[in-house]
Amino acid sequence: MTTERPSLEAAVVIVGAGPAGLACGLRLAQLLDEHREREPRLPAKDSIFILEKGRETGAHLLSGAVLDPSALDRLLPGWRERAPIEAAVADDAAFFLTSRRALRFPITPPPLRNHGNYVVSLNRLGKWLGEQVEAAGLTIFTATAGARLLFGERHAVIGVRTDDKGVDRRGERKANFEPGYDLKTPLVVLAEGPRGSLTKQLLGRLGLAGPNPQLYALGVKEIWSVPAGRMPPGRVWHTMGWPVPRSMYGGGWIYGLAGHRVSLGLVTGLEYHDPGADPHVLFQRFKTHPFVRRILAGGEMIRYGAKTVPMGGYYSQPPAAGAGWMLIGDAAGLVNSQRLKGIHLAIHSGMLAAEAIFDSWRTGDPAAVARTYPERVAAGAIRRELWTVRNFHQGFERGLFAGLLNGAAQMLTGGRGWRDPMLARAGHLRMQKLQAAPRHDWSLQPDEQLTFSKITDVYHSGTRHEEDQPPHLIIHDTDICNTRCIVEYGNPCQHFCPAQVYEMLPAEDGTKRIHVNASNCVHCKTCDIQDPYEIITWVPPEGGGGPNYEGM
Amino acid sequence: MRILVCVKQVPAKDAPIKVAGDGAWIREDVAYETNEPDAYALEEALRQREAHGGEVVALTVGPARAAQVLREALAKGADRAIHVAGDDAHRLDSYAAAEAIARAIAGEKFDLIFTGLQSEDYGYGQTGVVLAELLGIAHATIIMQVQPAAGGVRVKRELENGYFQYLNLPLPAVLTIQSGINKLRYATLMGIKQAKSKPLATVALADLGVSPSLNRQSVAKLYVPVKTKKTELLEGPAKEVAAQLAARLKNDLRVI
Amino acid sequence: MASEHATVLVVAEHRGGKLSAATAEAIAAAQQLAAPWQAAVHAVLLEGAAESGLAAQLARYQLAGVLAARHPALAEYTPEAYTQALQEIVSRRQPRAVLFAHSYQTRDFAPRLATRMARALFGDLTALRVEDGRLTVSRPMFQGRLAADLVVPGEAPAFLSVQIGAFRADRAALAAAPAPIAAEMVAPAAPAAAPEAPFQEAKQAVDLTQAAIIVSAGRGIKEAKNLDLIRALADALGGEVAASRPICDSGWLPMDRQVGSSGQTVAPKLYLAVGISGAIQHLVGMKSSRAIVAINKDREAPIFEIADYGVVGDLFEVVPALIEAVKAAKAGG
Repeated sequence: MTTERPSLEAAVVIVGAGPAGLACGLRLAQLLDEHREREPRLPAKDSIFILEKGRETGAHLLSGAVLDPSALDRLLPGWRERAPIEAAVADDAAFFLTSRRALRFPITPPPLRNHGNYVVSLNRLGKWLGEQVEAAGLTIFTATAGARLLFGERHAVIGVRTDDKGVDRRGERKANFEPGYDLKTPLVVLAEGPRGSLTKQLLGRLGLAGPNPQLYALGVKEIWSVPAGRMPPGRVWHTMGWPVPRSMYGGGWIYGLAGHRVSLGLVTGLEYHDPGADPHVLFQRFKTHPFVRRILAGGEMIRYGAKTVPMGGYYSQPPAAGAGWMLIGDAAGLVNSQRLKGIHLAIHSGMLAAEAIFDSWRTGDPAAVARTYPERVAAGAIRRELWTVRNFHQGFERGLFAGLLNGAAQMLTGGRGWRDPMLARAGHLRMQKLQAAPRHDWSLQPDEQLTFSKITDVYHSGTRHEEDQPPHLIIHDTDICNTRCIVEYGNPCQHFCPAQVYEMLPAEDGTKRIHVNASNCVHCKTCDIQDPYEIITWVPPEGGGGPNYEGM
Repeated sequence: MRILVCVKQVPAKDAPIKVAGDGAWIREDVAYETNEPDAYALEEALRQREAHGGEVVALTVGPARAAQVLREALAKGADRAIHVAGDDAHRLDSYAAAEAIARAIAGEKFDLIFTGLQSEDYGYGQTGVVLAELLGIAHATIIMQVQPAAGGVRVKRELENGYFQYLNLPLPAVLTIQSGINKLRYATLMGIKQAKSKPLATVALADLGVSPSLNRQSVAKLYVPVKTKKTELLEGPAKEVAAQLAARLKNDLRVI
Repeated sequence: MASEHATVLVVAEHRGGKLSAATAEAIAAAQQLAAPWQAAVHAVLLEGAAESGLAAQLARYQLAGVLAARHPALAEYTPEAYTQALQEIVSRRQPRAVLFAHSYQTRDFAPRLATRMARALFGDLTALRVEDGRLTVSRPMFQGRLAADLVVPGEAPAFLSVQIGAFRADRAALAAAPAPIAAEMVAPAAPAAAPEAPFQEAKQAVDLTQAAIIVSAGRGIKEAKNLDLIRALADALGGEVAASRPICDSGWLPMDRQVGSSGQTVAPKLYLAVGISGAIQHLVGMKSSRAIVAINKDREAPIFEIADYGVVGDLFEVVPALIEAVKAAKAGG
């Protein structure tokens, strides 16, 4: 059935109201304000559309996080007095954990030194940035997902279609059905974060990628309320070692927030060999280490979340722009995986994108951004920073120590390391079959006080979806799950999903079948990334659904 | 018909709610949303306007963050909004909130005032009824249908145990609207766009002379209800266990 | 302060010539409240001019008296007439407290009455406690996930309505000899328009929040066809069928049968959880139930932590046996 769709014209559509998308919007508003009088023919602010699939700005934003202030200093001088900050970094340290001990590094490795940076909640910072964007006269269309890109001749992007609302689980229209809008625009800025669905659609259709495929890690996080003084605000600790097996990449963090709260989590590289690997289990185990347990004793878990991070770095960046499109922030792979920092790069890239877009409006040549934006990125601080760590993450392909050695080598050689460029295989291709893979112990009996089941954790993510809608996790051939994967890999989706979306349940004939609890989904994108057969496609559910990462 | 819809911002239904340290209130770092019963009240008001013309005005009593529910109401189609704002507005009881509403709309004439059946935080379910008393106008609760009729409206009211009743009310009147009576509409892109240019007036609670000191009932302590009884585990052959359980249901729980 | 002149009024509710079941609960609550105050409890009956047997029914309870207020304007319930009549009675009798059952009807008019008399209605109460000369009451908040204590100010009268089922009707003390029935003068104005006759109607969606007994199915039932067992148990108990989310997600039951954080929140007299593990998403939807019985073959299932009675066993054996046992218990008298 063809749908009558309303359509609107836009000067630019920004998909995603995270730090990159919001910085882009805010910078555009600033430039328009500066120049409006002299150049009255610039586009009106209401022709700039910012789409956000979350129920409100910030709802889907999650990070540790320690913020490098350089980009915000440029975008909003004086932000430190006005923006929500947990604490300035007061002291930092790195630890190597064995199963019983925590060995402090006598000198904090330089990439993990954070003096001058700020512990923030990305959710709250995002909310605040959103308020600045709205105050500047732009509108953030929350609960509105970018469902599909619209293409014109020769694969040029000519617009974005937003999600249909009020469709039931069989695909039929409900009484309150509202069709998505076709937003026609000469320029779509994709700021969807890691493994964005439109970004994936675009790069797949155009056959674009960097020299390396993108590499990802999954961060699993909780916020705890703890007795006073347990973890002073601004204390930044990083850990490596236990409980992450030596063959895997991973590490933990513990940050002191304001108000007697602690942000802690574990990042696990999505490039492991063992198909049973469960990043949620690793994080729960992490909390049982005496070093961590001591901090949390007597406290209460108040929030949970999980999200992937692009770790591939410089050589995994896809092309940054093309006919009618640009990529900024995590969608463009702009994360310094050595420093574990990407928010400032997201903001920088959003600003550069805005500046390139604005110039194209003044010269009347919107197509120019496909050239000028990448030029700005290549000429500036983003490239300088990512260039020096261009071979960092790839070194961990052979495990923790090889990675650390490589890390040291590339630090001493200005990023060159053993080989430049250091190539990498996609993470999901490194998963080995059950028979061949090294197996670790992934069992966990949560006590529901210190450690939690995925289900209890999902409850604390505030995740909610309209129940009666089509499933947004599309498995293209469930026969593969039920007959091949079950034998070859043991259905790793049950393990790598931090929200218990996937389960193999006994069917009437005694066999096991894949069952999808789409409502639990926290939008981390792990399944889209890590499924070894590449048959899972994550598409945005009805806008407004997903986690509510208050304080994360 | 000019319809005022009172909407409240409450913690999101699925939000993991925790008592704040001092036991006086909950931790406020939760996600907030429109009280679901109020969303049904707004939907009913919008449908009335679509069918019979008029104006729909959304009003909330709440702290600064509560402006969000008004923006949503405007995006869904309300014509204008009134925010009665105060940092401690969420601590008002039904009486003080009704006083605030009555004072905020003193200069206006509404034919109908809709509220949701009750709020998902306090759940007193009284604000609409108290407001009707303060305004000296008619009211009816748990309303499922509203139709204009000679001299006022004819409404369908839900009673207990599956009973319903029609009654006629003169205007102006306060109606508390039952949930689930219609399908809630979505705010469209155009709706969100247009919302920005609709009037949203802010009135300070203090300027109306209202504060929690006006409360006639206040929460002294908030806590997680503790189960006082211990769990009795019954084990054994199915028939025996079933008999024991049936005896408990009959004699101790008195449900059969 | 104790006073031999202190009075507590309890307002009776009736429909179709019968007292509501909750009226006895309110009487029990009133008797409990009156004790530390050494107050006399009077039941208040509002009805039309024609005498029914309702006053005599009320007089069976241990009360200082039954105040029968009869007036044509009270023949059918309307909020205006009830409010006016009760305002007269309360002003005249000056009770320390006025008790109601927290029914739809009470919610419809009692807040209006309380406001008119410069008070608030303390509603949906699960407990009443007189401590250190103060009356403290408890009620649910956040849909039963939390509870709140409120202190009722000392100025008489206090208006209190008790949650249906929070007080036991069988604890309302009966008297050896009937309480005296007195005619109570009231003169409420005739309401602007009389309400039409109540009628019954099959509701579009089931309202689980109105069910006194709920039998709820979880993953443990394994297949859709096993819901027949659940229905049979619900029928035997006279209850409604509900389920945890996975059951409704799979389409085995419609979504208006779902109990939990993304479904309905219920607090029935009895919640029987069959094959439900007790994930927190489900618990928040039912843990305020007055009584919880769980049947699960996993001894460690979290549902047992909040159950009053737990059966560790195979539901496919326990439920059929339970159906028979319930039928026998009902027949046995």
